[in-house]
Amino acid sequence: MAATGSSPPRWRGRPLAGPEGASLVARLARAGLPELQRSLRYHRPRAPFCGIGQCTNCLVGVNGRPNVRGCRYVPLAGDRITSANSWPSPSWDLLGVLDLLFPRGLDTLHGFTWPRFAAPLYHRVIRRLAGYDRLPEGGAATGPAGPPAPAVADPVETDVLVIGAGDAGTAAAAACAGRGLETLLVDRGPPAEAPGPARLARTTVVFLPPPEGEPSRFSALVHEEAGPARLVRARRVVVATGGYDGPLLFGNGDRPGVVTAEGALALGLADADPWFRRAVVFGGGPRVLPLLDRFGTHVEAVVAPGAVSPAVVERASALDVPIYPRTLLLEALGRRRVRGLRLAPRGGGPTFDLEADALLLAHRRLPQPQLFYQAGARMRWHATLGAYVPDLEAGGATSVPGLYAAGTAAGLLEPAASAASGEAVADAISGSGVARPAPPALPESTGELEGYYVELLRRPRGRAKRLLCPCEDVLLTEVEEAVANGYRGVEVVKRRTGVGTGLCQGRYCLPDLLLVLAHLEGRPPAEVGYITQRPPVLPTPLGALARLPTATGSEEEGA
Amino acid sequence: MTGRSQYRVVIVGAGIVGLYTAWHLAEAGVTDVLVVDRGFLSGGASGRNGGGVRQQWETPATVRLARESVGAYRRFGVDFGYNVWFRQGGYLFLAETPAELDRLRAVVRIVNAEGLPARVLTPSEVLRHAPALDVTGIAGGTFLGSDGTLYPFPAVWGLFEALRARGVEVTTGTPVTGFRIEAGRVRGVVTASGTVAAEAVVNAAGGWSRDVSRLAGLETPNVASRHEILATEPLKPFLDPMVVRTSDGLYFSQTMRGEIVGGLSLPHPTGTGSGMPSSIRFLGTMARALTGLLPALASVGVLRAWSGFYDETPDGLPILGEDPRLGGFYHANGLGGHGFMLAPATSRRVAEAVLGQRTDLDPALFGPGRFLEPGRARQAERLTLG
Repeated sequence: MAATGSSPPRWRGRPLAGPEGASLVARLARAGLPELQRSLRYHRPRAPFCGIGQCTNCLVGVNGRPNVRGCRYVPLAGDRITSANSWPSPSWDLLGVLDLLFPRGLDTLHGFTWPRFAAPLYHRVIRRLAGYDRLPEGGAATGPAGPPAPAVADPVETDVLVIGAGDAGTAAAAACAGRGLETLLVDRGPPAEAPGPARLARTTVVFLPPPEGEPSRFSALVHEEAGPARLVRARRVVVATGGYDGPLLFGNGDRPGVVTAEGALALGLADADPWFRRAVVFGGGPRVLPLLDRFGTHVEAVVAPGAVSPAVVERASALDVPIYPRTLLLEALGRRRVRGLRLAPRGGGPTFDLEADALLLAHRRLPQPQLFYQAGARMRWHATLGAYVPDLEAGGATSVPGLYAAGTAAGLLEPAASAASGEAVADAISGSGVARPAPPALPESTGELEGYYVELLRRPRGRAKRLLCPCEDVLLTEVEEAVANGYRGVEVVKRRTGVGTGLCQGRYCLPDLLLVLAHLEGRPPAEVGYITQRPPVLPTPLGALARLPTATGSEEEGA
Repeated sequence: MTGRSQYRVVIVGAGIVGLYTAWHLAEAGVTDVLVVDRGFLSGGASGRNGGGVRQQWETPATVRLARESVGAYRRFGVDFGYNVWFRQGGYLFLAETPAELDRLRAVVRIVNAEGLPARVLTPSEVLRHAPALDVTGIAGGTFLGSDGTLYPFPAVWGLFEALRARGVEVTTGTPVTGFRIEAGRVRGVVTASGTVAAEAVVNAAGGWSRDVSRLAGLETPNVASRHEILATEPLKPFLDPMVVRTSDGLYFSQTMRGEIVGGLSLPHPTGTGSGMPSSIRFLGTMARALTGLLPALASVGVLRAWSGFYDETPDGLPILGEDPRLGGFYHANGLGGHGFMLAPATSRRVAEAVLGQRTDLDPALFGPGRFLEPGRARQAERLTLG
């Protein structure tokens, strides 16, 4: 950390206010919801959405380093933080006119072919529109945010690698270590304050190929923030990567003011008023509760896609917050940011509007499935979650020998069940005692969300753009056109439309896409399948990968 | 599932080679054609390549085929209604030693003799074409501005829809499991969903073409060689040409979307058996090579990595035409990592051969029979990387 008292970090040339140690986004949010950039194709205004460093909405440049996530980056003294892909500023961008000029979208598949002699001109223009930031100047980025001097990082050897330090991962790691197993816990977050097993903090497992060799061993590729990438070799791996709050498809769903539940909680500072005055919370389950607790009087209404749980009814009633169960969210109103929401009762009925300056999405908690796919685990469709989860045996064992799942990543949503699942995994790994039965899974309904999307897609549309893939500005109509033209299957639709190829690695489009394709292709989501989860799980700097040992000793392959 | 029980021609493989072959047949009026594929459209190398199209080769015949393909891709949008975004930003070959540079000089002479203005470059001229490169250790290079890059997927969609409009059947998700052979001629194709009769069969299965030939009892010397590739986060345009370093086969370009897409050659076990995984070894090796040549990329993130098969032959040249051992069985394979860049031209000639027309292909260079005469000195194409 640079010494305080030197020049403060600067955002777009101006000194950055707000407390040191908070993220760029949290510091900016004290003065209202910040707009940090424009979207790729239509230069639509974008503000922070996920709050956990997964989506594409807060990419900034830090001292020449491109595409840094502002919601996770903690500015240091002397930093020069810049915005990208907008002119003159993210709030007022001349190219925003593209959004108005192409109300039905820009057809780069068929368009711009005529006249032929104009091709070089089209190429120049479209290339300038694409991309976010510029190539860093003068070699490797320097300054506080730049990577340190190159050094090869030696592999780390351990018996058990636990990925994720939430309830499940912490319990699994503690139990494994307690049984005398050499255990390493890896987590994206800051170092733990409490003592515990060996731990790599601010580190992400970006690639977990299937195990190799005899006896078989995993080689996980991990990346330490602002440090090198390295290998962790382990005989057993416990994936406890948790979950995240999922997206929702509706008109102008990318408007500034739409955030996930965890985005809303991460965006504001605990001691400050939120950046909104009247928020609508979308959801009817347990994710709604922390939002009601935190933002109480600022919540305008609770709108739920299906039924509302008794706990939510009780808490909302106590706060005098009205509840709209079984309601479709059709469109966000407001040209530049959310000013209201257009809703309709499910099962038919006239639309109605609610005034709101924020929408907090709390309807869908999704497991992080990437590492299971990379390692080759067998997956199954979980109708209640509306997601694929690993197919587990007793003790959290996946179909890949040595690979275990615990907590939300395994499809469990209750915190108590999460910790118990972590301990059950430790039992199974250490072979101590009788393997406990798998924790009770959520009762699986017939898939409330599937029904929601069927109703949504059958309703007449407004003129608002429905962005199925906000990273790449892919419209729902492009996916519908692909299916109508005989392109079937999630992999083909991805290649045809670009859906799922953006910087969020599909986290904020695939969950919607699966339900949309199930409807359009007329088959259950369990048969739609998933897009091959290619490494890395999160974008990983080339400079960090360049510091891997030259000979890794084996193929270390997967995905 | 196929619509009929017999076709004049069955093409195995719905990648760029198979689709273009069907297209040239349709152009000649033959639409009684089935294109059958085990996977999905663009699931093989036609959806996994780096999009490079170059005309710099060691063999004059390949230069001519490539030049014809460049013309086809320039016209593609008008012909098929799909924009492949063929951007002629040039191909920049880099040599690190005087010996490598001499080899590239010879390539330039061959390319010049075919009427294309390729040039030998000094290191400072290299920098003019790609200012972000660190040319330390670069002895020189070559450049041809009409080479370029395209976006592969729309070419597949365009051909697929054009074929469908002409009544040609394209069936995916249907593996070929065998052939019906009678009296030294292929008579039909056995698929997972039934047998169809055919007067002619074209093996355009890319990395799987050796496997397909074996189903017909034919040994061919091509091998499926897995090559890995990666894409970075998108950046504003800063690199116009495709860059290729001959020493390690490093190649990369910046796509229309702004990503750096590229790969390099690593030895992997050959054959299609182990599938198309990515490897940690590739990520490390590629990152070192790329940041060594383009240091500013060090802080740029890798977005995804994937791999696909090159269908490589011992002499680096494709296998095109009827197999002398089995009447009616035509090869349109062995295109190495260059199926996309050569397909418009090579597929036209295969279609001509299927129709019994004369082609301008030298059988000693491209014919399937060339491998049956061991010991004969032949030309070979060694500029096969990038």
